Amino acid sequence: MKELTFKQKVTQGIHDLFYIWRREFRTTLRDQGVLIFFVLVPLVYPLIYAFIYTNETVREVPAVAVDNSRSSLSREYLRKVNASPEVSIVAYCADMEEAKLMLKERKAYGIIYMPSTFSDDIVSGKQTHVSLFCDMSGLLYYKSLLMANTNVSLAMNADIKIERTSNTTNRQDEITTYPMEYEDVALYNPTNGFAAFLIPAVLVLIIQQTLLLGIGLSVGTAREKNRFKELVPINRHYNGTLRIVMGKGLSYFMVYSLVAVYVLCVVPHLFSLNQIAIPGVLTLFALPYLTACIFFAMTASIAIRNRETCMLLFVFTSVPLLFLSGISWPEAAMPAFWKYFSYIFPSTFGINGYVRINSMGATLNEVTFEYHALWLQTGFYFITTCVVYRWQILKSRKHMIEEYQRHKAQKAARLLADIDR
Amino acid sequence: MPVGVVDQDMSTISRNLTRNLDAFGQTAVVAHYPSIREARTAMQRGEIYGFYYIPQGTSSEVQAQRQPKLSFYTNNTLLVAGSLLFKDMKMMSELAAGSAARTTLYAKGATENQAMGFLQPIVIDAHPLNNPWLNYSVYLCNTFAPGVLMLLIFMVTVYSIGVEIKDRTAREWLSMGNDSIWISLAGKLLPHTAVFFLMGMLYNAYLYGFLHFPCNSGIFPMLLATLCLILASQSMGILMIGILPTLRLGLSFASLWGVLSFSMCGLSFPIMGMHPTLQALANLFPLRHYFLIYVDQALNGYPMIYSWTNYVALLIFMTLPFLISRRLKEALVYYKYIP
Repeated sequence: MKELTFKQKVTQGIHDLFYIWRREFRTTLRDQGVLIFFVLVPLVYPLIYAFIYTNETVREVPAVAVDNSRSSLSREYLRKVNASPEVSIVAYCADMEEAKLMLKERKAYGIIYMPSTFSDDIVSGKQTHVSLFCDMSGLLYYKSLLMANTNVSLAMNADIKIERTSNTTNRQDEITTYPMEYEDVALYNPTNGFAAFLIPAVLVLIIQQTLLLGIGLSVGTAREKNRFKELVPINRHYNGTLRIVMGKGLSYFMVYSLVAVYVLCVVPHLFSLNQIAIPGVLTLFALPYLTACIFFAMTASIAIRNRETCMLLFVFTSVPLLFLSGISWPEAAMPAFWKYFSYIFPSTFGINGYVRINSMGATLNEVTFEYHALWLQTGFYFITTCVVYRWQILKSRKHMIEEYQRHKAQKAARLLADIDR
Repeated sequence: MPVGVVDQDMSTISRNLTRNLDAFGQTAVVAHYPSIREARTAMQRGEIYGFYYIPQGTSSEVQAQRQPKLSFYTNNTLLVAGSLLFKDMKMMSELAAGSAARTTLYAKGATENQAMGFLQPIVIDAHPLNNPWLNYSVYLCNTFAPGVLMLLIFMVTVYSIGVEIKDRTAREWLSMGNDSIWISLAGKLLPHTAVFFLMGMLYNAYLYGFLHFPCNSGIFPMLLATLCLILASQSMGILMIGILPTLRLGLSFASLWGVLSFSMCGLSFPIMGMHPTLQALANLFPLRHYFLIYVDQALNGYPMIYSWTNYVALLIFMTLPFLISRRLKEALVYYKYIP
């Protein structure tokens, strides 16, 4: 075989790249299994999740009241709690035992206990304590109950204060209750909604997980189909690492640039989630995320031997990865080991960056760390992909040579036998 | 949790506020910013989870009784962090308002009791039952660990049956069990049950023995619940591969159901806040019942009778293979592997 010049090599490489790209694209479109992961799951999963969390907050958490004071003041308090959007008092129990029974029967998630001295204390100018007992099966129950009771107590405190001071004007009343006023601003998620908080993270994660599954599936299939159970087929176009990696990567990238538009832009729009991203910034950020995910998935797919094993390996990582991203439990409170462990996965940076860009309107300046990390991952996983593919090519070549030599030996043996006869 | 302060007042009062805010358990003041804009950028960079704004002239306005206004901003795209900070910052603001009034009251000669009785007549004593530390790990891990186990069981059960169809060894497997689907299934899956139960005992021992998470019912009801969950999940696995006897589709079904379980068990977002359809559908997830049993038994220490419906539900899951056995056997004998 004559040596090719560098220029010829490059032309041939680019030619092969597009050949591989076309072939990969065709197998993707023809394989129902891959299509499910690349199209159906990204299409439907976000919708299911958005549907689950569409109510954003819990309203009217059932609670019971034990009113030992039975005074107009205690009734006023309970009435106000009941009127709040967060809590609904479902029963007034005679004593704590009855109230506890209601909790056991799951008819209520909290007990509001008014002490018998409630009214007397207030009238005589002493502090009085309302006890609140919360079932801790869900943090949102606790939050709702505490919020409603705190707000009512603050409002009643203000009224009581005004009554006690002999003010003459309304303005004086205001100053008595709050010499220093305050306001709270819930930035970027004014309704305190669950969907607005969780869905963006899930969306970004779906991209990485479906890529892992889809690429794993197609690699597993390729191994089952190819001779010698190798990843790289024996084909004259498949003889350079770069062209294989780039060709395959390009075909996945094309599919996923469409998927990403749907998942990252259309879905939040459909469910009217926060969407204040600057389009250019989001595009620039999505680019390294997609490439990092693709090369990460291609590297990881080396472990897949059969068509279906990718599901066994990758599906159960989804939920832990969501928690590792630091979206649910703040990164600041995460043990250092888990923090650095999470840096292996593109989703960690992808989720943090996307939430800040899309929900908080950050520019690339603010997500520099994530942005750089994703490019770094792209580079790193590109190299690892090349390494593992190179290894696979060498392996399949070795197999081919062995096979060839075995054939030759057989042929020679047969020839020898013929001569002998 | 890191927070910032925008202190434009630079007075004793504002410094006092900052110090007090820093003293709260959940908050640590890590930075001072000259303006809101810079604080907001720091929030977008993820350096702080919230910030406190003290405008210029606060102290002089307080002294002149002109009611200045403080504000605090929390990043609620991170719901847990945002809520925790909100609680502390709100408390801080109440105290700030109170301390200003208290100074006036002390000056008028009131005692501390009188002053507190005037400033905060009604106090809320919150008692988070059985998790007084509001420990997030207690809240999460107790359902998370069995959830991951359940997902694994779904996948492994579906895979181990489906792969027989794929490799065309299903008939051989059946004939080993005297052509009885029940003997074959038991022979294949009971060893799995033993391994999974061992894993179940391990996580129970780790959570309740090593980490000392609340286990007010004693360990045995939890071990029983774990065993029920394992058997129910295996039965669900049989049902899944029975309904979709193609390995790939069966596994897809298992992953869908398994991953959705984490949302549908009502751990993060309560079921009562969901759409009524979903409230009904939630009963079809074994993890949901395990979660309710865990809440009743280990967390709250109620007698087992209060969660009898959930035990029954898990038992019903265990009978599912009876519904599908005929179809599964047919699939094992006649089905061809479709890639």
